Amino acid sequence: MSAYVLRRVLRTIAVVLGIALVVFVFIRALPGDAATVILGERATPESLARLRQQLGLNDPLPVQFGRFVSDVTRGDLGVGLKSQIPVLSDLRNRFPATLELTIGAILFAVIVGLPAGVIAALNRNRFADNAAMTVSLVGVSMPIFWLGMLLAYLFAVKLQWLPPSARTDIGVTFQPITGLFVLDGLLRGRPDVAWDAVRHLVLPSIALGTIPMAIIARITRSSMLEVLSQDYVRTAAAKGISRGRVVMKHALRNAMLPVITVIGLQVGTLLGGAVLTETIFSWPGLGSWLYQGITDRDYPVIQGGVIFAALVVSVVNLLVDLSYAVLDPRIQYS
Amino acid sequence: MKRTYLSALLAAALIGGASASTLVYGSGGEPVNLEGGNVTDGNSVIVHRQIYDYIVGFKLGTADLAPGLAVSWKPNANYTSWTFTLRKGVKFHDGTAVDADAIIFNVNRWWDPKFQYGYRDQGRTYESFGEQFGGFKGDANSVLKSVTKVNDSTIRFDLTQGVPAFANLLAQGYFGIASPKAIREQGAKYGTPAGTPVGSGPFKFVSWRTGDRIVLAANTAYWGAKPKVDEVVFRFIKDPSARLNELKAGGVDFTVDLAPDNLAAIKADKNLRAVLKPSFNVGFLSLNTKNQYLKNDKVRQAISMAINKKEIVQAFWNGLGTSNASFLPDTLNWANSKSVPADYKYDPQAAKKMLSEAGYPNGFTLDLWYMPVSRPYFPTPKPIAEAMAADLAAIGIKVNLRTKDWAQYLDDRNKDPGFDMYMIGWTGDYGDPDNFYAAYYGTANATQDSGYNPQNIAKLLDQGKSALNQADKAKIYAQVHELTYAANVRLPIVHSRPLAAARTYVKGWVPSPLGSEPFNTISVEGKK
Repeated sequence: MSAYVLRRVLRTIAVVLGIALVVFVFIRALPGDAATVILGERATPESLARLRQQLGLNDPLPVQFGRFVSDVTRGDLGVGLKSQIPVLSDLRNRFPATLELTIGAILFAVIVGLPAGVIAALNRNRFADNAAMTVSLVGVSMPIFWLGMLLAYLFAVKLQWLPPSARTDIGVTFQPITGLFVLDGLLRGRPDVAWDAVRHLVLPSIALGTIPMAIIARITRSSMLEVLSQDYVRTAAAKGISRGRVVMKHALRNAMLPVITVIGLQVGTLLGGAVLTETIFSWPGLGSWLYQGITDRDYPVIQGGVIFAALVVSVVNLLVDLSYAVLDPRIQYS
Repeated sequence: MKRTYLSALLAAALIGGASASTLVYGSGGEPVNLEGGNVTDGNSVIVHRQIYDYIVGFKLGTADLAPGLAVSWKPNANYTSWTFTLRKGVKFHDGTAVDADAIIFNVNRWWDPKFQYGYRDQGRTYESFGEQFGGFKGDANSVLKSVTKVNDSTIRFDLTQGVPAFANLLAQGYFGIASPKAIREQGAKYGTPAGTPVGSGPFKFVSWRTGDRIVLAANTAYWGAKPKVDEVVFRFIKDPSARLNELKAGGVDFTVDLAPDNLAAIKADKNLRAVLKPSFNVGFLSLNTKNQYLKNDKVRQAISMAINKKEIVQAFWNGLGTSNASFLPDTLNWANSKSVPADYKYDPQAAKKMLSEAGYPNGFTLDLWYMPVSRPYFPTPKPIAEAMAADLAAIGIKVNLRTKDWAQYLDDRNKDPGFDMYMIGWTGDYGDPDNFYAAYYGTANATQDSGYNPQNIAKLLDQGKSALNQADKAKIYAQVHELTYAANVRLPIVHSRPLAAARTYVKGWVPSPLGSEPFNTISVEGKK
């Protein structure tokens, strides 16, 4: 097991380095650079040349790459060309927001999607099945941007049940510990802060979690249907074990492998940042930050953001792979 | 003093903090940074305006100059030397004096690449200073020759050429005066979210939570009108619809840069009030005279007559824009020629005929590039481009609508062969016609993207810049207006009035035509 984990860690390092190289080359192959974007409509040939020189964009590529590798090996991802903020500092500030939103979205997706899939499978081709699958189809097909706007308008503007954006109300004062505000509120003994953070988390979590919810529901249904037709499930039922026990203990657990895989993939994707949801709900996460970096051709931001996202996805995939062994004792890593 | 900074840093680590009267501003995005000389974006400048004072200010709601840190200023006869008399007794938020030394420190930081506290080796570029003043110390085109302390409350700028608009340049929102002590202590952190910007403006910096908000507290010792609220919170809400939602829900008290089609929704809400900012921009269609068809004067004139500007402005700006035949917005119409018509003539029949006379009775095909981003002058570039394409199709010009990523768009428009036709615009920095014309006429850029940069216009622009009074300027820019109107190279489509809105209890907000104004006149009495 430990040899397997070590191999995977080494492979992850190789993948991240490969991605760093590819990103470094590709973003510089794109037309336009940070100087063009910073100066915008106001650019003149002289001001462009001057700013490119100041930002080090005129240096030969090998020199820039050497500088980049040397910085990365020292744990320094550079400083944003536009903002002058160290990339690591931005990552530190924004990742907790993304992580909290991801947790909220995945919780919503699992809490709604998993039972929906199970109920659909147990009621195959009946009303509950059709209803659950129709809802999941709508969920998969619905543009996040539109859903987010709809949720914000309905629940924040019209009904005024929940706030339309941000992570906390203006009046909420506290000192964060982890950057996960719900947790921080509890750790600080401030349930009011935790509750405020939860209220702000609800709408973006639903908007972001709807597609994963729909996917989880569909995968759970098909996986459950397959397991429910297995001999051991029929045997368990024939032995007189209650239906609930058969479903929960014998069927669901064995149906979970593909579901866990899908959840893992979704978590990996969401942790990379969710541009649309973050934009609609003014959520200060990684997605909008990285998107802005790409728009601004801010090379250190793009490099740092992509390397970090690659690292997160690799780690989540590793955790998912390891969880297989927990769920299915037949699986062993060597 | 260390204790002061410790408190400030502690405050910076805290989240939120609303007090009895908190004014919440829905900003269209996060500032790039909070130090002068390094930014031109509106999201930064609006915060600078609260924290910093400027050597020269503006009269509220106008582009007219008013005393700032300088109570008076006087140029010499040929505008090559400017003497500023400073207001006495003004203190930065950290208690240090705003005097001649402090201002010279700031100017040197922006201007002198070798200045010890410039931190250029750590990424500072001060590009907005270089852009506005012809470069930096040692550059051949630098406007500034020296800045000298005459006494504690008098400074003198000596210039390499006469610049009648020099005071206007200093008044721009980019050049707020910061505390030298704070800069020395904070180094390259100054102006970033990890630093504590210190000015002498009506509000003091409290905290900056990246991606979310900036909090400022009232400067109760302010030399000018004392703030009417205890604190101002700038919330970064990029999406205009989300800003409107927050305004309706009461999450922000006032906001800017809303889509023109939101006007009806704002008017229908009894809790809201629409605020129309004065227009100080131009959105235009640029034609490339290097193109085989567009090099023909008659073709360009036909295009100018084929586009129904009035209808387009009505349809896409919802009444929040005006159309005229000038590059200049109405606030600068003193610089327009009276012999130029109020607007371009819309006459598709005549346009078609003119196209035939030019030798193209069956028309031809051109690319029209529209911007991939929204700007106040073109809030919805694609539908506007579609409308122009439809107008041009009516006279036989088939248009391929094209766009690309913004960085590419900005870069490629200046690369040969350039775009056939493309949409772009300009928002003014200060109230001088040169600020509008010089960006797109009379520069190397003008040659690159349009192939059009005649010497007579370039010469007139140089004369306009050096003209000693408004009457002389008006004569010169009237000629520029006539020449640019006749050339039909950059067709002004709109001068838009950016749409802003506020909750009805917000009183005393006077938006500046230049895009940023201090908030010390605003009150929120009756806010729950």
